[in-house]
Amino acid sequence: MSENLIEIKNLHVTVEDKEILKGLNLSIQKGEVHVLMGPNGAGKSTLVNTIMGHPKYNVTSGKICLEGKDITHAKTDERARRGLFLSFQSPEEIPGVSVENFLRTSYGAITQKPVKIFAFKKELENTMAELQMNKSYAERALNVGFSGGEKKKNEILQMLMLQPKLAILDETDSGLDVDAVKIVSKGVEKYKNDENGLLIITHSTRILEFVDVSQVHILVNGRIVHTGDRSLIDEVNTSGFAKYETAV
Amino acid sequence: MSEQKKHVADIDRSMYDFKDKDTSKFKAHKGLTPEIIRKISAEKHDPAWMLDFRLKSLELYNKMPLPNWGPSLEDLDMDDITTYVQPDTKMKGNWKEVPDDIKNTFERLGIPKAERDSLAGVGAQYDSEVVYHNVKDEVTKQGVVYTDMESALTEHEDLIHEYFMKLVPPTDHKFIALHGAVWSGGSFVYVPEGVHVSIPLQSYFRLNAPGAGQFEHTLIIVEKNASLHFIEGCSAPKYNVTNLHAGCVELFVKEGAHLRYSTIENWSKNMMNLNTKRALIEKDASIEWVSGSFGSHVSMLYPMSILNGEGAHSEFTGITFAGKGQNLDTGTRVVHAAPHTYSTVNTKSISKDGGACIYRSGVEVRPNAYGSRSSVSCESLMLDAKSRSDTVPVMDIRNDDVDVGHEARIGRISEDSIFYLMARGLSEEDARALIVRGFAEPVAKELPLEYAVEMNNLIKLEMEGSIS
Amino acid sequence: MKLNLKNVNCLPTPTWNKLGVNGGIIDTEIPEIVPYTADVFPQTLPKCVEISDVMKTDIVFMDGDVDTGSGDSVREFVKKNHNTGFFIEIKAGTKVEEPIFLNLELDNQNPTLVDENTIVAEPGSNVTVVMRYTSKPGFNGFHAGMTRIYAKNDATVTLVQVQSLNETSLHFDDVGGTVFENGHVNLVQTEIGGSHASAAAHLKLMGRQSGVNIGNIYLGGNEESIDINYLVDHYGQKTDCEILARGALQDKSQKIFRGTIDFKRGSAGSKGREEEFAVLLDPTVRARSAPLILCEEEDVDGQHAASIGRIDENRLFYLMSRGLTEAEARKLIIEAQFTPILSRIPIASVREDLQTSIAGRLNTHG
Repeated sequence: MSENLIEIKNLHVTVEDKEILKGLNLSIQKGEVHVLMGPNGAGKSTLVNTIMGHPKYNVTSGKICLEGKDITHAKTDERARRGLFLSFQSPEEIPGVSVENFLRTSYGAITQKPVKIFAFKKELENTMAELQMNKSYAERALNVGFSGGEKKKNEILQMLMLQPKLAILDETDSGLDVDAVKIVSKGVEKYKNDENGLLIITHSTRILEFVDVSQVHILVNGRIVHTGDRSLIDEVNTSGFAKYETAV
Repeated sequence: MSEQKKHVADIDRSMYDFKDKDTSKFKAHKGLTPEIIRKISAEKHDPAWMLDFRLKSLELYNKMPLPNWGPSLEDLDMDDITTYVQPDTKMKGNWKEVPDDIKNTFERLGIPKAERDSLAGVGAQYDSEVVYHNVKDEVTKQGVVYTDMESALTEHEDLIHEYFMKLVPPTDHKFIALHGAVWSGGSFVYVPEGVHVSIPLQSYFRLNAPGAGQFEHTLIIVEKNASLHFIEGCSAPKYNVTNLHAGCVELFVKEGAHLRYSTIENWSKNMMNLNTKRALIEKDASIEWVSGSFGSHVSMLYPMSILNGEGAHSEFTGITFAGKGQNLDTGTRVVHAAPHTYSTVNTKSISKDGGACIYRSGVEVRPNAYGSRSSVSCESLMLDAKSRSDTVPVMDIRNDDVDVGHEARIGRISEDSIFYLMARGLSEEDARALIVRGFAEPVAKELPLEYAVEMNNLIKLEMEGSIS
Repeated sequence: MKLNLKNVNCLPTPTWNKLGVNGGIIDTEIPEIVPYTADVFPQTLPKCVEISDVMKTDIVFMDGDVDTGSGDSVREFVKKNHNTGFFIEIKAGTKVEEPIFLNLELDNQNPTLVDENTIVAEPGSNVTVVMRYTSKPGFNGFHAGMTRIYAKNDATVTLVQVQSLNETSLHFDDVGGTVFENGHVNLVQTEIGGSHASAAAHLKLMGRQSGVNIGNIYLGGNEESIDINYLVDHYGQKTDCEILARGALQDKSQKIFRGTIDFKRGSAGSKGREEEFAVLLDPTVRARSAPLILCEEEDVDGQHAASIGRIDENRLFYLMSRGLTEAEARKLIIEAQFTPILSRIPIASVREDLQTSIAGRLNTHG
């Protein structure tokens, strides 16, 4: 039996007829943490949105398998039910739908089981406390009027409540102050175990403080051009992507 | 206008083919005559002044033209108007004739059997009558009068004479003239000075005999420093074999008083709902309108607040949801007729499956209404490209010392919002329904819980199969 | 003579008659229309532009005439009674660098002006036309004009119409036009004078990615009435429109502003925005607004906003705390209000003239 959580083979993706991903390969095993870096426009957001199945992104060839099951053309909600989670770079605001109501609906949809309201509420409150979120946020409309930091914490809250098999964090740490990054990092640590996996898009090591990084990938012009260990992050932060861009 | 007509004509309403079934025996009558009115009046044992009022209204009705704006009323057979008002019309229908979609809706909203019969106009009064009497006994202790209009006309004739159709005179428009001539049933509430009614009172006609609620008249007087919450209608579809509703609501809110008037209308989808509601708000008094329109084939509904005393306040929160075959022309009017008066309007509309929502409003600030403020916000959601959503607001400002603002937005559910929710495991249908419920939340939160739950269920029901 | 016009400046969807914004009847006495002989062109015209005198041209419309903002009766009146007018054709691919000025002045010799104009911008061309309607003081003038605009594929037409007639003149300005693929029309109308000023436009966005910008400045004083009606129909996909109006009313002046954005079925991906800000300077003014959005397409984004009221006291206070007198501060704030529209006029001299005439007409009482 394969221990591959996700396996992406020769992925080509177009957006509005423009090819962004040009044969991307990536596989993540259970228990691993992968970091994805790359210059603006390299295709990082395209990759994560494609993994999650955004209708705007068109897979022209290649495939994506989650735990051995081909999900290349699955609907977004099916992917979520199979254990994929994306922490959005800019989470959507949904007026009139409270965080608690939304999470309960989502939890029910993913687990396909009736949700015990009081037990759920208790767990939600505990998790919010760990993320140093005020309880009142449970009653507020989803992301509406949240600051950038609050939105990101709310994404991590959802990740912790929904317990996905593979969580993808799309620049979850960008725009956060030092304290908020610490809280988010703690959340990531709490989530991580030997059975699940993480794919993190980031520019810095701050969010990785409490986790072991298995691999770091450099994405340039729609392909992964280099893979290394944690030290690669510091190298990129010192020297930039120029070396890899010219290599393409 | 012509374009709108064309649009309406395009709607497939074959599912409503039952409309003329029971009306054949009246075909001989053309137009409404004084004889018919006398007959109605006699059956109701009206005092002489009321008969007189009815006859004068009839004269106006026969003279006045149909409105030259608004939705097409071509489905209304004005020649057969007598069939709507015959006192001996057996309004009582037959359960078998109630359309399946209505029966299904009852089923899915969990309406009790007895209430279903009553709502469908096929049953007798049901058990809630008992509930009504208990409520009535309780508020009577506080000196509140809460009764049906016919009883009020006997027991409180002076009050009725003083207030009846003084705020909405029969000269206003053709259908209110008709109402003045043929009105029947409805609720009367009188709250004495300083009395706060703690339980919401509900419209009598919900509990009343079958067939009532077509030309019902609601008259509410809230005396100085008193307060009341009144609830009209219900979210279950109310079915009538006849299809014209021309009700009238008159609300008098005296100095320092407060009235909240909530309505969820879900008329069966063959109904022409031409309802006139108006409130007169005196010094430092306030009204809150909460209005949800889901049903009917055609609606023209614009509750109006006249801010008549200094410091008067009006708040309007409305939602309109138009689906297949529906043309719902709704909104509000506010007249600032005294200094330092305030109004806010918040409306939402949702159009789907060929339905049309028209938001219409008028905010007037009279020359003497200095220091007044008004703020209007309306949002419209288009759920597909078959439907229609128009926004027709007017402001008429006759004074410089004002602050009047208006915002409107029209659009669709963003693809990214759906993606976000689907990424959290919701199906597309559930994601859309959740977003629409969230859109309607500002109205739902103003409703009593049971109504809010019913409204949410209704939206869920309306949203089913909305993805093609 | 009698001027009798029906259904002028109508709302496409009428509403309560009592509010008086549905559009109406013009029934008034005007001077006899006499030939217009004044010199219109202050400059020599560029060669790439063909201008013919409408009096000598027979304009034929294959698909019928355009719809204009004021409606059929105004358009037909102008066609029947015109005493001047110009047919301006810009050849394909031509970018006309210098704006074309038409100075249309009323005076004792020329008290009446009825101009019928047509601007055809062939594919890929670009032109700016400035029409200045002015008058000498001290007589009763009459102006009724109608201008058709055809902006063909990739063409851009900027039309600036400046009206500063004297206080006893009537003014009717009507525009109708069609915008084809990738074409753009920028229309600026300013109503600074006249005892009655009517400004209207009906533009149809037929082509994909076509666009319209309408800017309006109005300033009402004395007992003037201003009557505005703008309609923009979105037919093509990804079309874009913006209607902005900025106005001020003083004395016993009145205005009705109507603006309609109409998203027709099939106009997917389109956007429309409408905004009106009116400053009321006296308790005796009357301001009516009807900003409509009509929509039968799902994939659109339509917005409108209106704000009507006095000058913000906090702003006044702020400026006065910096040493301005109240009159100066008021003036500054009112003039600033017009800036977003003025900035759409691409010619500095026209902007400056306008600022001067606005300043000259503003009451400065506190």
